[in-house]
Amino acid sequence: MDLAPTISTQGLTRRFGELVAVDGIDMRVAPGQFFGFLGPNGAGKSTTIKMLTGLLAPSSGRIEILGLDLNSHPVEVKRQIGVVPEGMALFGRLTGAEFLSFAGRMYGLDRETASRRAAELLDFMQLADQPKKLVTDYSHGMQKKLALAAAVIHGPKVLFLDEPFEGVDAIAAGTLKSMLQGMIARGATIFLTSHVLEIVERLCSHVAIIHQGKLVAQGSLEELRTGVEAQTPASGDGSSSAGEKLTLEQIFLRVVGGERRGEQELSWLG
Amino acid sequence: MRFGTTITTGQLTTIAELRWRMFVNGLRSKRGKIELVSRIIVSLAFAFGGLGGFGLATGLSWYFVAHNQADFLPILLWPVFFFWQVFPVMATAFTNNPDSSELLRFPLTYRSFFLIRLAYGFFDPASALGSVGLLGILLGVTIAGPLLFPWALLALVTFGLFNLILMQTIFAWLERWLAQRRTREVLGVLFILFMLSFQLIGPMTQRLQHHPSPEFRRAVETATQLQRVFPPGLAGDAIAQAAHGEYMVGFTSLLFLGSITAAIGYLLHLRLRNQFRGENLSEAAARPAASLKPQAVQLGWNLPGFSPSVAAVFEKEMRYLARSGPMLLTLFMPLFMLLIFRLGPMSQMRHSTFLQRTPDMAFPAAAAYALLVLTNLVYNSFGPDAAGMQFFFASPATFQHILLGKNLMHASILLANAVLAWMAVAAFYGPPTPAVSVGTLVGLFFAAPLSFAAGNLLSLYSPKKRDFSTFGRQNASQITVLASFGVQIVVFGIGAAVFAIARLYRNLWIAPLVFFVLAIISVVVYIVVLGRMNALAIERRETLLAELCRA
Repeated sequence: MDLAPTISTQGLTRRFGELVAVDGIDMRVAPGQFFGFLGPNGAGKSTTIKMLTGLLAPSSGRIEILGLDLNSHPVEVKRQIGVVPEGMALFGRLTGAEFLSFAGRMYGLDRETASRRAAELLDFMQLADQPKKLVTDYSHGMQKKLALAAAVIHGPKVLFLDEPFEGVDAIAAGTLKSMLQGMIARGATIFLTSHVLEIVERLCSHVAIIHQGKLVAQGSLEELRTGVEAQTPASGDGSSSAGEKLTLEQIFLRVVGGERRGEQELSWLG
Repeated sequence: MRFGTTITTGQLTTIAELRWRMFVNGLRSKRGKIELVSRIIVSLAFAFGGLGGFGLATGLSWYFVAHNQADFLPILLWPVFFFWQVFPVMATAFTNNPDSSELLRFPLTYRSFFLIRLAYGFFDPASALGSVGLLGILLGVTIAGPLLFPWALLALVTFGLFNLILMQTIFAWLERWLAQRRTREVLGVLFILFMLSFQLIGPMTQRLQHHPSPEFRRAVETATQLQRVFPPGLAGDAIAQAAHGEYMVGFTSLLFLGSITAAIGYLLHLRLRNQFRGENLSEAAARPAASLKPQAVQLGWNLPGFSPSVAAVFEKEMRYLARSGPMLLTLFMPLFMLLIFRLGPMSQMRHSTFLQRTPDMAFPAAAAYALLVLTNLVYNSFGPDAAGMQFFFASPATFQHILLGKNLMHASILLANAVLAWMAVAAFYGPPTPAVSVGTLVGLFFAAPLSFAAGNLLSLYSPKKRDFSTFGRQNASQITVLASFGVQIVVFGIGAAVFAIARLYRNLWIAPLVFFVLAIISVVVYIVVLGRMNALAIERRETLLAELCRA
């Protein structure tokens, strides 16, 4: 049975002057999927995630989250989603506990629930040992963990993460991953962008690839692999030996037509 | 070295071109063009001030030299000195101090780095106006004694160089101390206390002059002698001695001034050399991680009658304010001003006709000032939120609720300040009459919603990232500066007119009645504007996020 998608876009487009950053994307993310959204630099990943979370208005097209039109029901949608945007959206002059309690109440939790969940999240994220420290004094990794904690404090059904593992050490990344996998196990849907293809390959069940504003591939990893293998014979950097599965990196390079410019000579370079 | 010289000249030209490109690119947006117009208006105001100073400096210096009173020249040089040094720190809202350390990633020679730093300083409004003042003195001295021109030029250029270097030295060392949040906050509070104590000098002097004592006279004489060894005194003395034909004595003063300039320059060199070598002033290096026992998370605040999101924003705003020492201290300025007026001219005016008839006008004035000190908070209310603005957009809370929470905080501060001002007025001038007390409070119900409505609009139309816990290197939006000024003139003008009419009819109870009617209109305006806030925020979200979330 084909479930109604948790996230769907139709003809999603965003223009900046004459530049078409996102060009008519049609995307479907089913409930419970851990969805990786990939693309080279400047492909339109962040623009897309900003539009999906209401941080940026589309030039045209339609976005539906959990069956609700984002344009006409923004508040209802935002109640059910959690977001860790590019800039992390933190309030630097609050302590971690104050910020989480604040975030919970902004999402409509009562004071007791917000405070209790804040304490639990701080403990889980190993941020509870310095209760008086202001967020502005947190390290980058601590801020990432706090931003994720704030995004999940209201128990969202859908979570949007823009580069959640960027600048995060292995220990903090492990904590984040286990939390995200726990959410997926409990039925949540996660949409993340990342440049670290190994992490996406390990975590995500489904992937979409955007290139020059257009969606060039979408499906489960196996579907993408099959599609790529059928379209192009193994060669060059995207090759794999006979019998070996293509890695996500190889699929990505073939789909976006990535050429390594190893041969091109920059004679002046020492 | 020819290669080094070529590189340095090329780099300086490139930086000048970069500044120009940044300026031109800033004009691409409509907001950038409006900012330029606002900046021109502000610059014109500065230019008029500069012209006035130039005329005054020319006239007085001519008078002193022409009437053989060149010893009084330091009287002109001290204000130039104070203006040059104090203004950049005080008026960070009007100045633009680009961070030269950002250029360190490029292969810049130390000499270029040093020169760029001085060049940035030279384009500061304080330097420009200070130079205009010195030019005025030079002109006055030259007209009075044309032969003094080369000598006066040398002395004043040295003095100008001293000011330029000192200003940069102060900023460079302040940057060092401001690099950590804790020292930033401490220094911010000390700075405001310094500024407040500075305000007391005038009233105290006037008070002492009114009752001169032998000790005071002796202190003035000692200060007059002492000032001669400081740069303004030395520069003035160098010219004065030359005017008296005592060139050797004048040269000694000039030499001394040059030595002080070199010493200050050395201090600047020490700081810039460390910057050039890439010193690390980050928080992490300064503060080892503390190991504290975990504490239970406390319940958030409850605000009866308001939604959880309004209460959450109110609490967050209060916490932010409590952690912004300099801003918090600014909010107590009305009480301090009452004290200054009590000590100073107003205490003498108390016996004049106006205040004899209406001694309790101090309360409306203090209440108006209490609203005025909220300007930074009200008219740029998202400034301190910075990247947190994304959270507001991502959360289901509407901007009506968010701004209502912020305005409730503003209103609480205003009310607390009004109550404290009432008590201070009662202590300093006697209790205000019931008519004035009620009139002022109802007047605030007229003035505050209007200010809040205008402030909410400007907060969305012209946001600027700010950190109210620090000072320096933060520019207010010129649009906000001008627009808030305009709104306040209208609001306070209406308030003053209402009290004037009430006094004209010899019945101060007219004021609360008129204010009550105005307050109803004002509240309606506020509600209508607040109702538009969510749509406006959504419409302006790209500008807001781009401005507030930038690194």
